[in-house]
Amino acid sequence: MGGQACVFYGAAEFSRDTDIVVLAGKANLDLISLAMDDLSAEVIAVPQFKAEFLKKGHAVHFRCNHPDALGMRVDIMSVMRNVEPFDELWKRRTSIKTEEGTYDLISLPDLVNAKKTQCDKDWPMIRRLVEANYFENKNAPDRSHVDFWLRELRTPELLVEVSVNHNKQAAGLIKARHLLEYAISSSIKEIEKALLKEELAEREKDRKYWEPLKKELEKLRRGNSSSI
Amino acid sequence: MKRISYPIEEELLNWYSLTPKERWEESRKLWDFYISMGGSLDPEPDTQSPFHAAFEKSKTSSHGRSGMRVLRRSGV
Repeated sequence: MGGQACVFYGAAEFSRDTDIVVLAGKANLDLISLAMDDLSAEVIAVPQFKAEFLKKGHAVHFRCNHPDALGMRVDIMSVMRNVEPFDELWKRRTSIKTEEGTYDLISLPDLVNAKKTQCDKDWPMIRRLVEANYFENKNAPDRSHVDFWLRELRTPELLVEVSVNHNKQAAGLIKARHLLEYAISSSIKEIEKALLKEELAEREKDRKYWEPLKKELEKLRRGNSSSI
Repeated sequence: MKRISYPIEEELLNWYSLTPKERWEESRKLWDFYISMGGSLDPEPDTQSPFHAAFEKSKTSSHGRSGMRVLRRSGV
């Protein structure tokens, strides 16, 4: 997931960490430990690499010391806010075959949901991801494309275009996304205001989600420093 | 079909028009260039990321006494 998935789906991100989502079972964690050993990677922050922390929603942070990946950070997660459990993510994944092997990426709708965070950098990324999908498929969309655009587009002009061209489908989704009412009536200013409201609400949800986790991290960190 | 003019930069449109494979290849070229110029793989701190809390230094100083205080500064 993360940076390379963004590149694949059409946004341009120059991310220097590697985010990996895993099912926090013993066999998987053993395999990750072996992979991290190959990369001479070590855990560089709290929490420790344990299933209990991953299952709570924490990320475990490694830094690679192997000369081929010197300094690269690998963040391992198992639970993410705003996205389905791992089994569902896995069913919907995109697999890409390259000369080096097969890569499994988080699906575009799941990536978009995962990007709805408190960080400034994620919001233009969502906009670009959905725009890219729109420009790629707008000439021959199926119902699921239109549904995705109506739910996730963050470009006022494109929201108007989709809502006008697929009026009935847009009207059916107003309950799920109120701003479609403005898109149907081509009220760009109102859409802009509503998009900002949506973004602020999601940022707040993300902050609230992380509050207890951050407190726990603080406790773990204090515990660590007092034991040194 | 209604088409609405949308002010999107040409560079971005070009990027969108590439296939996923082409985008990966372009991204790889950027990486190769970055590494060849001595770029670090260590990510910069992102103070907005919730992960930042895992890396933050303790708010209290290691000796337990109060830390640095600003005694005087300009109005800005």
